[in-house]
Amino acid sequence: MDDSLARKFQKDLNSGLVALVLLGVLDSSSEDLYGYEIAKRLQRANQGEALFKEGTIYPVLRALAAQGLLTSRVVPSYSGPPRRYYRITDEGRSMLRQWSDIWRQTRGFVDRFIEGTDA
Amino acid sequence: MNAPRSIDDYLKQLRVALEGQDPALMQDALYDAEEYLRAEVAAHPGKSEADVLELIASTYGAPDEVAAAYRDTEAKVKAALRTPAPPAAASTSPLRRFFGVYLDPRSYTALFYMLLTLATGIVYFTFVVTGLSLSAGFAILIIGVPFFLAFIGIARVIALGEGRLLEGITGQRMPRRPVHPGPAAGWWTRIGEMLKDVRTWTTLAYLLIMLPLGIIYFTLAITGLSVSAAFIGMPLLLLAQRLVWSHFDFADDITIAGVPGIPDSIPSDHPIFASVLLFVAGLIILTTLMHLARALVRGHASLAKSLLVVPGA
Repeated sequence: MDDSLARKFQKDLNSGLVALVLLGVLDSSSEDLYGYEIAKRLQRANQGEALFKEGTIYPVLRALAAQGLLTSRVVPSYSGPPRRYYRITDEGRSMLRQWSDIWRQTRGFVDRFIEGTDA
Repeated sequence: MNAPRSIDDYLKQLRVALEGQDPALMQDALYDAEEYLRAEVAAHPGKSEADVLELIASTYGAPDEVAAAYRDTEAKVKAALRTPAPPAAASTSPLRRFFGVYLDPRSYTALFYMLLTLATGIVYFTFVVTGLSLSAGFAILIIGVPFFLAFIGIARVIALGEGRLLEGITGQRMPRRPVHPGPAAGWWTRIGEMLKDVRTWTTLAYLLIMLPLGIIYFTLAITGLSVSAAFIGMPLLLLAQRLVWSHFDFADDITIAGVPGIPDSIPSDHPIFASVLLFVAGLIILTTLMHLARALVRGHASLAKSLLVVPGA
């Protein structure tokens, strides 16, 4: 019971954060990345328990591309299905800046209360 | 459900978890998973496929978790990106519903698609006929095999492009990735797979019938557009005749040569009345054409989906 509530809370948080993180990963990368590479970068960055399942990033990547924040191209692959490589667009960069500001504000705001109760 | 022990097992479970979803979404989800799983297995050469798959549940997610993510994201994106319904669709007045078609961006894109199909139809048809006959001719030569593989590969990419175009125009969900040749295998096995795959043949059939369909669509669109334009412009023409050209010795007749069912000239007794009637008729023809285009292209998108998208992937 406890655990499922915690998971639900994490899931609700993730719904917007995954998109922000993906934009961040693609913005900091000098080359185009495909789904698996992005997933591996996230995995390296978060030691231990993953905050979200890597299977959930593909539909989000697609959604971001549909909104024009990413562009993509398909490259055939010998080892499996063709890969879709993503790159951030200018629109995506400006959205990333906006979202980062919102995130910093939110984090500051939330921290004030959480740390308040701790003290 | 047991934890999957192999890639095929995982994909099978994912397919079951996505049961009832749009086939195009299923195809995307299965390909995404396959890309990840194959890369992950390849990245751990020391471990067996079963061992790697055990880890997958905690990194990539179990099949039903992944399926849930696709369902949620798809619903959200669809809601956010859907072309807003034309406001007139909600109103009950039949007249407003009839003319509401002008407010729906899809009727314009549908009309554009009808005009475009003649060009794409010719290209697709030529491509398939050339590809098939050259494949047959090359079959006895060593280059026959790679040629055929390349031909089918390009046909699949064209199918993807056509799907993306139709999704843009009609909103019908189509795959985001082309059909892929499957895991690396010998050329003969690949050719065998392609020949056995029903989708190969339906894709080629779709590309072939695009020529006759394109001719029909183009003719309908061009005829409707030009006839209605001529009719709608009639009062203007009359006005121009009266005001500008009156010092030329033009007759008061309006002549529409060669349009069946329309007299060659309108009697000069009531040219204004006649031209207004023609104007109204032109407006009705144009509006009907817009409705027709929207319905026709929507139907065409369903046809394309049934021929180009792998059912249940």
